[in-house]
Amino acid sequence: MNKPLPLKRIALALLVCAGAISPVQANVTDKDIQNDQATTDDIVSYGMGLRAQRYSPLSAINKDTIEEIRPVWAFSLGGEKQRGQESQPMVKDGVMYVTGSYSRVWAINAMTGEELWQYEARLPDGIMPCCDVINRGVALYDNLVIFGTLDAKLVALDKDTGKTVWKKKVEDYKAGYSITAAPIIIDGMVITGNSGGEFGVVGKVYAFDAKTGKQVWVRPTVEGHMGYMWKDGKKTENGISGGEAGKTWPADLWKTGGAATWLGGTYDADTGLLFFGTGNPSPWNSHLRPGDNYFSSSRLAIDPKTGKIVWHFQTTPHDGWDFDGVNELISFDYEESGKTVKAAATADRNGFFYVLNREDGDFIRGFPFVDKLTWANGLDENGRPLYIEDVRPGNPSLSDDGKKGAQVVARPAFLGGKNWMPMAYSPDTGLFYVPSNEWEMDIWNETTSYKKGAAYLGAGFTIKSVNEDYIGVLRAIDPKTGEEVWRYNNFAPLWGGVMTTGGGLVWTGNPEGYLMAFDDKTGEMVYKFQTGSGIVGSPVTWEMEGEQYVSVLSGWGGAVPLWGGEVAKRVKHLNQGGTVWTFKLPKRYEQVAKN
Amino acid sequence: MTCLRTFYFIPFILLSLSVLSASVFARSFDDIIESKKINIAVYIDYPPYSYMEAGSAKGIDVDIAKEIAAKFNVELVLTWMTPGETTEDDFRNFLWKGHIIHKVKADLMMRAPYDRSFSQKRDDIGLLANELVHMFAPYQQESWQIIHNTEQLPEVETMAVFQYHKIGAEIDSIPHFYLTSAFGGRLRDNTTQYVSNELAIDAMKKGDVDAVMGLRTQISYLSQFVDNAKFKLASNAFPLIGKQKWDLGIAVHNDYRTLAYEVGDVITEMVQTEKMAQIFSQYHATYEMPAYYAIEL
Repeated sequence: MNKPLPLKRIALALLVCAGAISPVQANVTDKDIQNDQATTDDIVSYGMGLRAQRYSPLSAINKDTIEEIRPVWAFSLGGEKQRGQESQPMVKDGVMYVTGSYSRVWAINAMTGEELWQYEARLPDGIMPCCDVINRGVALYDNLVIFGTLDAKLVALDKDTGKTVWKKKVEDYKAGYSITAAPIIIDGMVITGNSGGEFGVVGKVYAFDAKTGKQVWVRPTVEGHMGYMWKDGKKTENGISGGEAGKTWPADLWKTGGAATWLGGTYDADTGLLFFGTGNPSPWNSHLRPGDNYFSSSRLAIDPKTGKIVWHFQTTPHDGWDFDGVNELISFDYEESGKTVKAAATADRNGFFYVLNREDGDFIRGFPFVDKLTWANGLDENGRPLYIEDVRPGNPSLSDDGKKGAQVVARPAFLGGKNWMPMAYSPDTGLFYVPSNEWEMDIWNETTSYKKGAAYLGAGFTIKSVNEDYIGVLRAIDPKTGEEVWRYNNFAPLWGGVMTTGGGLVWTGNPEGYLMAFDDKTGEMVYKFQTGSGIVGSPVTWEMEGEQYVSVLSGWGGAVPLWGGEVAKRVKHLNQGGTVWTFKLPKRYEQVAKN
Repeated sequence: MTCLRTFYFIPFILLSLSVLSASVFARSFDDIIESKKINIAVYIDYPPYSYMEAGSAKGIDVDIAKEIAAKFNVELVLTWMTPGETTEDDFRNFLWKGHIIHKVKADLMMRAPYDRSFSQKRDDIGLLANELVHMFAPYQQESWQIIHNTEQLPEVETMAVFQYHKIGAEIDSIPHFYLTSAFGGRLRDNTTQYVSNELAIDAMKKGDVDAVMGLRTQISYLSQFVDNAKFKLASNAFPLIGKQKWDLGIAVHNDYRTLAYEVGDVITEMVQTEKMAQIFSQYHATYEMPAYYAIEL
């Protein structure tokens, strides 16, 4: 094995090394972040642009060239901690920053795939994260790499060394809080939401000074809770969310109303607004909380300067199905009757796709994006669902004989027509590319439930597939008409993010392990590559030394394998993993070969 | 050469296995006796069942665990459980699969339901939901209890009084569900929720609520810290509550039935000699013997 290296290979190695060292190491500025979607040489925001359109104008990899792409490196997230890699990589100056399950972060040489540093958060002994041990990515600002941990802290690391610069406790993990979303940066502030599955948490949006970790404001997402602002270290009241308590909640249930902001948010510079989705209300039994239960299962527009709610749009008022509507709201413009409409779109867990006016939250139109909805007869002129009350899960107090309560079947299942996985919008085609799932659920009251040795009223449920040959559906949806332009059916449920590019491609991964690319107009699959474990992360693309790169994390996990039942049969054979895969066209290889 | 290598390897492998099994795996009775240690899982911060006070572990479940370890003549190692959303989550995290992050498992888990309909429960595809654990040795019958401020509310004859008086309950508990939904929701507006029974009792002492409803063991335990002339335990019934009483016992991984038989003997003896009732009375907690032992006595 001691054969001398061929000269060509040495030359290539030198080139690669030179490439890795040469870029100017600059700190990330607000301007870099605001312009992220337009600049192709870096990825410095979650969503590849603050609007989170997940669109890149790069076109070197396109419908004609894609069959030539090949992996250039793969990086293992190592150890026994291989589970649920839902992260989106970030890239700046030839360095990739990526998070893994169990609150870990890596800096990787984006040319070679070599590790520069690794950070592993020390998680407390008693921690019991509600929603798997995933993380969705970092935020970059100045010389910092900032991410949220499973024990509800924000940690800022030095981008060159991986050493902790500041650490801030956002909430108490013992009270059931956690952070899994990627934070975003607006005007020097790091902005994050919170996660929490346990009953008793209250959703909030938090802003901290990105350089120091000092808190700037906090905005609760449940009606009745006071928001706060910090000026010169002094905490001052900043108005009650929704004006006052008890307008849309009975008794004092608002105190623990849920509405967690677990997916993080997006930002639109035109309107200067942050958009956050909020989760389901608590408790799960909707019969205990008659009323709309503001601001659960809603989209909130928050002014980052004041920390106040500017408008809200509730997708599932009085949610009784766990349609945990946190889904991302993506800003986009379209032309109608010669005028530009400043719109924003969201595909909700509940199965409806909504187009809103992003300036004031007015409902423009909405339509189901799934094949069938059983819990509502459509939307009224304000976008409120027309409920079919028979499909609302029953009141457990009516089944007092200790037996299983009445069963209802609802479609989509609570995991949603679309779950956390982000969709993409292409300004080229004017279409949204929506990773969705077709499944239904049975829900019944379960009186033989226990918690900490106390009898407990639970809900039993099972998720069922409705089609023999597929659950996942990647859809191209026209937001102006509601038309499904094309679809791709996938056997297992889709759980990974989508990206679209100027090369006319739509990228996503599936639990079966394939990174796939589709023609953005026809839906024809033009490429697939087996990554060795299921893909539940979000692909990215960027340019380095004139070449287009594509990266995605592979590593099966997330919420789907946590649930049993019939759906588990489709995924239980899938192996866990943890690998960053990076691809490009073999341009340099060809040049070197020609010499 | 090969022989020698094997010779060296075997003791090494055995040694490493035994070290591992002492710390992270649920184990058989023989393993426990041999290692001179038993690992028992109890809920964290859960007085009077299991909690830390002045640096030492206390509580009813801790005392029972100590008794088991003493009878086997092994050292007691406690695993403090952060509860999941349901007991099934705790079985998974502490008996058969291990904690999601730390992979720790215990040999026994206290405070598991002893309820045939629960142990025989079928999952959504018709399989036994809890087939990986065996629930045995009921040691206590649990129920509900109201404590009330006699100055504001002299008697609790029926639940109807809470149409007119405020009552507190721990969030997400059956009392909370019950008070907010039973009787057509007529008690809902008088119900205030607290993160714990302790905080609910504090609110009653301050006069924010006239009564508190919770688990009988916890409410009777907490009643020792309030003025018993002013605050009394009620003896009302709880119509429509579903489960009036239920038994609690111990759970073990289904592979280790021998361990269950041995522990079962210890518990039976404790109940029959009234050692169990003594433990409860040390914590000022009401004790009711499970029906299981009534026949034998």
